[in-house]
Amino acid sequence: MSPESNTPSDRHEVDAWRFTGSFLRNMLSKAIPDEPAYGGIPWTPVSKPLSESKVALLTTAGISMKDDEPFDMEFERQNPTRGDSGFRSLRGDATASDIAANHLHIDTGYIERDLNVALPLARLAELAGEGVVGSSAATHYSIMGFQGVDSSQLEQESAPKIAEALRNEEVDLFLLAPV
Amino acid sequence: MGLVARVVEAAGIPTVTLNMIWRYQKLVGMPRIAAVEHPFGRPYGDVGDRETQSAVLRAALDVFNTAKEAGHIEHLPFRWHEDPKETKWHPADPSPIIALMNSRRKK
Repeated sequence: MSPESNTPSDRHEVDAWRFTGSFLRNMLSKAIPDEPAYGGIPWTPVSKPLSESKVALLTTAGISMKDDEPFDMEFERQNPTRGDSGFRSLRGDATASDIAANHLHIDTGYIERDLNVALPLARLAELAGEGVVGSSAATHYSIMGFQGVDSSQLEQESAPKIAEALRNEEVDLFLLAPV
Repeated sequence: MGLVARVVEAAGIPTVTLNMIWRYQKLVGMPRIAAVEHPFGRPYGDVGDRETQSAVLRAALDVFNTAKEAGHIEHLPFRWHEDPKETKWHPADPSPIIALMNSRRKK
């Protein structure tokens, strides 16, 4: 890793390690290969203007509706190299008082006070009201971001189910945000 | 995470991933990245900061329009309002994997 933050540049390049500390930076950096580790990147062209698009959000914060089953933190406590590979559906009108946040790698207290820090449903509804986006989907999604040594269940079971649900709801654009 | 974006994109729905650790792109291969320099747990902005939350959301959505090829990385211009030393994002207790690594280092 070169110290990009010290490199003169016309535009701001995001310092991926600004908040990690050196221990975590070293740990996370080791996972990055020198050459791309994938065969290709999938691509679907955008088919209509933002102002006509139905948008759904996803967070990796381990968020569930209070009337739904929470993400399983006990599994990870018993198996520190693994994480809950499931997903949860969230209502588009959910606020912090409607949800539980379970994620052992961050302070979830901020999300419990204001859901919009990680899943800006209220802000998206405002943009829909202003006509910036066509609409906010009725359903949004959470996974739990820490998958440890095995992300195959997330990729092969949860992700296809999320894709199917998005298609069924005729979502046009999907915005994901890791925490 | 990026894996979910790949699966959804391959299923025919365009995705943008708002990402702090955008350097994982080489590992994952995400279709469109909006890179943001915010602390873990609050990618869109701080508690009650509606202005930043909305601006980051809009900037991330704009990447659907600006990205013209797979793997595009857009660096968003937002700067966090606190110094990293003053920014608290860690959980109260170390995560299980960190606790395990710490116990192994001590041995």
